[in-house]
Amino acid sequence: MSNILSALLLALWAYLCMTDMLGTSFFMGFRPLIAAFGAGLIVGDVQTGLMIGGTLELMALGVYNYGGASIPDFTVGAILGTFFGKGGNYEVGIALAIPAALLLTQMDVIAGMINNVFVHKADKFAEAGDVKGFDRMMYLFSHVPYGLSRGLPVFAAVALGEPAVKLVGTFFDTYPWISNGINTAGGILPALGFAMLLKIMPVGKFPAFLILGFVLYAFMNVPLVGLALSAVAVSLIYQYTKNQKMEA
Amino acid sequence: MTDKSVKIEKADLMKSFWRFILAFQFGWNYERMQSVGYCFAMLPILKKTHPDPDDFKEAFIANLNFFNTNPVVGAPLILGAHIALEEAGASIDTTEGFKVGLMGPMAGIGDTVVWALYNSIIFSIGSIMALSGNVFGPILVILLVFFPYMAVRYWQFMWAYEQGANLLSSLGSGAFAKITEFATIVGLIVVGGFAPSIVSLSTPIQFSKEIEIGGEVVTQVVEIQAQLDAIMPYLLPMLITFLAYWLLKKKNWNPIQVIYLLIAIGFIGGAVGIFA
Repeated sequence: MSNILSALLLALWAYLCMTDMLGTSFFMGFRPLIAAFGAGLIVGDVQTGLMIGGTLELMALGVYNYGGASIPDFTVGAILGTFFGKGGNYEVGIALAIPAALLLTQMDVIAGMINNVFVHKADKFAEAGDVKGFDRMMYLFSHVPYGLSRGLPVFAAVALGEPAVKLVGTFFDTYPWISNGINTAGGILPALGFAMLLKIMPVGKFPAFLILGFVLYAFMNVPLVGLALSAVAVSLIYQYTKNQKMEA
Repeated sequence: MTDKSVKIEKADLMKSFWRFILAFQFGWNYERMQSVGYCFAMLPILKKTHPDPDDFKEAFIANLNFFNTNPVVGAPLILGAHIALEEAGASIDTTEGFKVGLMGPMAGIGDTVVWALYNSIIFSIGSIMALSGNVFGPILVILLVFFPYMAVRYWQFMWAYEQGANLLSSLGSGAFAKITEFATIVGLIVVGGFAPSIVSLSTPIQFSKEIEIGGEVVTQVVEIQAQLDAIMPYLLPMLITFLAYWLLKKKNWNPIQVIYLLIAIGFIGGAVGIFA
């Protein structure tokens, strides 16, 4: 199989893995065990896929992008590791998979930023009441940035081969400020989501509850479930005392 | 309220459910996370419950608000209950308050149960099998993902819809105001804690100076982040969130302008090493 054909098939597999993660969740293709297994089937070396996938999966166990936090891209790491490790080159595969996963953390952040476009397009569709336009955007385009964020690096790495992968790695090592900048920007962008949420909530009427939630999490390290239960309790107490006053 | 109510058919529920399964996190973005996917799943319902075009537009816009929760345990439950609220003619304030109130807690429960517990167990078993060269490792994991995930999502969605409808029909008409207030308070408390848990900003800046203690020269390192934490934990994430809030609310900036500002602060700050 020529490298271009492998590159194309593996890129499609990476795209599919991402689409499954975002939507269907039928097979958890973005997990390294599954991503490498599929890559092993494509390159005709299932055993290498199992080894690479198993190794990376145990490394990444319990690592998920909770609440949109960025994590190393083990999906692409697993696929590239399997490709470069096929035919008994397991060591080479692993040696490439881990830096590739770390390097491509940025791709996830970039895709999430590009996707901001969809939410603004959606606002326009909503204002026009245009359901068809919105649906078309969802079906045809809304999965493209995430899909390509994994598909393109896989295609490029497989088509160009090992020297190119090392070159990109060196580039980011030479200019670490680029990764630092992208990571930091990704970390603070959710502030906008919360700001928009607060804008529609009666913060001015009930500031005490916002402060209480912050104190519970930030100072007392209450986990989110505990925070939610406290919120329910406080809300019940508030409504109960209000009713008592009205009856008195 | 009751005169507004519309009957949701099983076919509508299924349409919404399949849209949810197909595309819930399509278009996931930093600004409003799962908002477009949530809206996509709700649209077949909103079209029925808001026959008036202007009403519909308002509901369409409201359903594009920030949303983020666990997609397996959490999102189907919120969707199902939201559909029941829609069917009963609940106002946008009620449904949005309800969503905000539930998404944080359900994210906490779902992330713990699905990602941290269930997935860690099945994936560690599958990986160990794979490492011994057994093809059934990943195949077993796929089976243990496909069937339970489908079942748990369908069951939650339907259960929440049925319970939501029952609960609301047994409540009086004053109930909506109460539910809204209840959900708003829960929502504010949860957002207060949820924001610092997600927005991440810190500073790696440190100063070192040499001081003399009893004739010995000691290098003392002052980490700015530790000083900030001593004042208040999560001070920087809160400041940046309030800056964004203040610009939106008081300065009438639009979200795109705020995005550019945040990206500029983050990228430049991260690149020159003021922030991390």
